[in-house]
Amino acid sequence: MSTITRIAREEWRLWLRSRVVVAAALIVAVLIAATSMLTAGRIADEQSQRTQQQIAAEQTFFAQPDRHPHRMVHYGHYAFRPPPPLAVFEPGVDAVTGQSIFLEGHRQNTAMFADTKAAADLGGFAALTPASLYQLLLPLLLIVLGHAMFLRERESGTLAVMLAQGQSGTKLALGKAAALLAVIAIFMVPLVFVAVYSISLGESALAAGSMVAGYFVYLCIWGAIVLAASILLKQRSVSLGALIFVWLFAALIVPRFAINASSAAIDAPGKIESDLVMLAEQRKLGDGHNAADPAFMQLQAEVLEQYEVETIEELPINWRGVVASYSEAELTDLLNSYAEERMGLEASQSRIFGLFGLASPTIAISSASRTLAGTDLATHHRFLRESEALRFGFVQALNEKHATELDYAADINRNADAEASRRARVNASAWQVLDEFRFEPDGADARLERALLSFVILLAWLTAAGGIVYGAARRVRL
Amino acid sequence: MTSPLEARSLVLVREGNTVLDGVSFTAEQGEIFALLGGNGAGKSSTLLTFLGFLDPSGGEVLVNGTSVTSDIAAARNAIAYLPEAASLYGHMTAYENLDYFLDLAGKSASKDEIDAALDRVALPQEARTRRLQSYSKGMRQKTAIALALLRETPILLLDEPTSGLDPVAIDEFHDLVKTLAEGGQTVLMVTHDVYGACQVADRVGLLRHGKLVGSFAAENGKRIDTETVHAAFAERQAV
Amino acid sequence: MVRNLIRETRFLAKDRGAIFWLFLAFLLSVVAVSFGVAEVREQRETIAALLEEDAADRANALEGQEDWGSAAYYAFHLTYAPPSDFAFAAMGQRDSSPWKHRVRMLALEGQIHEADTRNADFGLVGRFDFAFLAASVAPLLLILLLYDLRASERTMRRHDLLVATAGSPRSLWLPRALVRVAALALLLLIPLWIGTLIEGAAMGLALQATAIMVGSLLIWWLIVDLVSRVDASPSILLTSLIGLWLALAIVIPAVSKAAIEAGNPVPDGGEILLLQRETVNDAWDLPKEATMEPFVERHPELADHTEIEEGFEWKWYYAFQQVGDQVTEPLVEEYRDVRLARDRQAGTASLLSPMSMVERAFEQLAETDARSMIAYEDRVRDYHADLRAFYYPLMFPEEPYDSELLDDLPSYTPAS
Repeated sequence: MSTITRIAREEWRLWLRSRVVVAAALIVAVLIAATSMLTAGRIADEQSQRTQQQIAAEQTFFAQPDRHPHRMVHYGHYAFRPPPPLAVFEPGVDAVTGQSIFLEGHRQNTAMFADTKAAADLGGFAALTPASLYQLLLPLLLIVLGHAMFLRERESGTLAVMLAQGQSGTKLALGKAAALLAVIAIFMVPLVFVAVYSISLGESALAAGSMVAGYFVYLCIWGAIVLAASILLKQRSVSLGALIFVWLFAALIVPRFAINASSAAIDAPGKIESDLVMLAEQRKLGDGHNAADPAFMQLQAEVLEQYEVETIEELPINWRGVVASYSEAELTDLLNSYAEERMGLEASQSRIFGLFGLASPTIAISSASRTLAGTDLATHHRFLRESEALRFGFVQALNEKHATELDYAADINRNADAEASRRARVNASAWQVLDEFRFEPDGADARLERALLSFVILLAWLTAAGGIVYGAARRVRL
Repeated sequence: MTSPLEARSLVLVREGNTVLDGVSFTAEQGEIFALLGGNGAGKSSTLLTFLGFLDPSGGEVLVNGTSVTSDIAAARNAIAYLPEAASLYGHMTAYENLDYFLDLAGKSASKDEIDAALDRVALPQEARTRRLQSYSKGMRQKTAIALALLRETPILLLDEPTSGLDPVAIDEFHDLVKTLAEGGQTVLMVTHDVYGACQVADRVGLLRHGKLVGSFAAENGKRIDTETVHAAFAERQAV
Repeated sequence: MVRNLIRETRFLAKDRGAIFWLFLAFLLSVVAVSFGVAEVREQRETIAALLEEDAADRANALEGQEDWGSAAYYAFHLTYAPPSDFAFAAMGQRDSSPWKHRVRMLALEGQIHEADTRNADFGLVGRFDFAFLAASVAPLLLILLLYDLRASERTMRRHDLLVATAGSPRSLWLPRALVRVAALALLLLIPLWIGTLIEGAAMGLALQATAIMVGSLLIWWLIVDLVSRVDASPSILLTSLIGLWLALAIVIPAVSKAAIEAGNPVPDGGEILLLQRETVNDAWDLPKEATMEPFVERHPELADHTEIEEGFEWKWYYAFQQVGDQVTEPLVEEYRDVRLARDRQAGTASLLSPMSMVERAFEQLAETDARSMIAYEDRVRDYHADLRAFYYPLMFPEEPYDSELLDDLPSYTPAS
């Protein structure tokens, strides 16, 4: 054991003497610190802003005057998604998707005003987050530090001396691994801070801890790859070149290639495309504004029979409200089936993307990290589903008021004059039907379960890379 | 008549250390001049100054009567240089290496001419189409000498040309250098090998701590006496 | 010089390391271009299919309508920005900004911000297109090809022999590096040229793209050359160059982006929507004149036809839709101006980073930059105005409904 620590300590002494290494490590550390603080500040602002906007939207809804209930259906409501606590580390897809959605009758809108739409365009890497620094920059730092750690002994001839003294290659490799592990541990500190901070914001310790563990495994994978290269290759510049190549591939090329490939493999039609197909079907359902639409004849027969009356005027409830409620339900079924199909296709695209983690650990960690943070596509989809449930809930509650609290005769004469229009209103207290909406991320175990595949892939990478290091170290000759 | 190589009170300071301190000598046409010295005596630096890689801090070096600093290209064009442990490209064959380096010097040679040169340095026929990374040190040295031959320059600078060669190869090499000098080439070699220097050189200069401290010349067709030089070398070293 | 170049070309052909990087460059370029061409085709097919379905849907919607108001209410119109002939090289903002809408004559602000973009992961990670290859990966490949030209010869103790033999360093290093730079440029550009031919893009575009690519490689060559003159070990040189690459590719763009965005805050998009919604909804409860007055200010020619007699009339309905747009105009204008200002400043800031510069230049050629996306939105606005200009003179004077007149409905024409 003491041999291993001595080797590790020797390695550290060398690093601390090299100006290039110290400068590189300091720059990376400063970048991580600065980005973490900036992102944390920005996310905290957004968090409070979105929550306030949500509350304000609810209060304006409640504060609406007496109205025709269907007017409130069109008046609509907003759903906001505040960033989850771990978004301070991994903002994920939130910037791309937009974080607010307008909810109204008869329509499912998309989330609007994504940050990226108005972003200053400075090319592919301009969006810097703490997570992307851990994913892209720290592996490079490990490469700079470690590419020559083993082969330096070979170059200087000390390897021969050590082997001649009866030291084994494995012990030497273990020492080097310990040195690299210490570097990784030091650079985990900012992430641990962020994780603790997120717990103080209400994140579960399980999710935050898994995030830290995931990045630790990820960096260990890179450490093992670097160590393996420095054992297997005989020249510094060849080792450095090869590792840069691996980095270029894993961090830059494969992820983007995977995007191209998954979009080519599964064609997820845009909303306009699927809307067009749906519109044709929707026309068959009838227009909910027009209670005389022939599509509602069967419904009429059923309702008349249920209340044992002859005409809609005799119904104890407002026929127009019944139609509105019925057609909203039918339409929502249709909208949801198309939305589900679209989300399903997007989810399969993302699954294919996730499988490319087998070709690049960077993909595996970025998928895992978005999932754990609750800023992944699945969470966005859940936001869409929950806001849809909110929309359907208040629209149907208003339709219910329309059917039960508004007289049919007053309703159909609402455009006759100002007085008639006033009669076709319900009391504003009815707007209290709106549910309070606070979007919360999934529970930690649900997120962890979703990230399981990525974690398995990461562990497979670690096993493979570690195995290569072990095999190479055992077979070290001069 | 101007000497092909001349150093005039050459002073060379590198990073605060005086490497050469007022060295003067000439090498005449057809002469083999050996600079003998221990490690760090300033031997290799002298060669690099003639090649224009190092600028004299004082005095000057002349090639064919022209100051090197005033026309580096002319100096390099007149000189074939054989660095210590000369390594040509390992991933190319002898033919390819010679072809490349001759082209670099602005010369070209037919395959026959190249073969003739390789014959003179006695590089086995079968090796000539093999990559240099499979060569022994001696074979690599021979290929590099063949390059020097093919360049047909009036001057040859050799840096520790025999270090690492086996005795037979050293003898062959010395014979070759003598032949070249007889053909009119001026040879300046630097070495720490007393025996070799005495065996091949017409004159030997003894370099110590950047100063030329002794000079021995072959006279009356006899070689320089190794014992004398060795004694001088050892004595000076001991001081 | 020609002789030097021939010699160094033959020398390069034997250098397996360099050949590997060059082959990789070629392969990546082929991949980037073919994905780009495929994506552009798919987008064109999508547009073609949409056009057909859109026409069928509109015909269906208009069938059996009995007044101008319902016709305008039920008929949607497809607007789109087709990918340019050069879009295969740089998909740019097309992944994050919408390039297709279906609009109708209701308040435009409620429609134009709909984002029919793709899978959010796509916009997050980004595509592997030629612009990315040229801007970010090519410099890295160039660094790997050039960083140890001198240093590796020094390590192998060949440097002095080479220079002494060559006479002057220029006749050695210049052609040696030039051959590599030229080979890299060629291998990257050949697939791009073929893509340009397949897509039928203008020669001028290919020439400009070539100039950008070559210019960027020359800048990087200069950087590498200056750094690698330092007498340091190859691995220290490579480390420094990678550091420089990171600074230029990531740090400078990220810092400028953050600074630009902080310096030019966009109005909250939600505000635009909220204001427009409130205006339109409040109109139902306000006296009709409150809507018709601001409407007439904009359309004095219709002043004689703005008397609203009944509880509900389509002209009043469309008038408050338009007033909804009018009210949000200052906010919308500001949102647009800030986007343009951010883009302008990003253009200036990109002078500090060759990567940003190249990527932006390619997006400009491909018409996939922020400006082009805003230009598309402007076309949608113009088209929406055309729709109003078509219906208003029929609807307000209460011309009798004639479905044949709808054959003259303005049709959207994308920028050519």
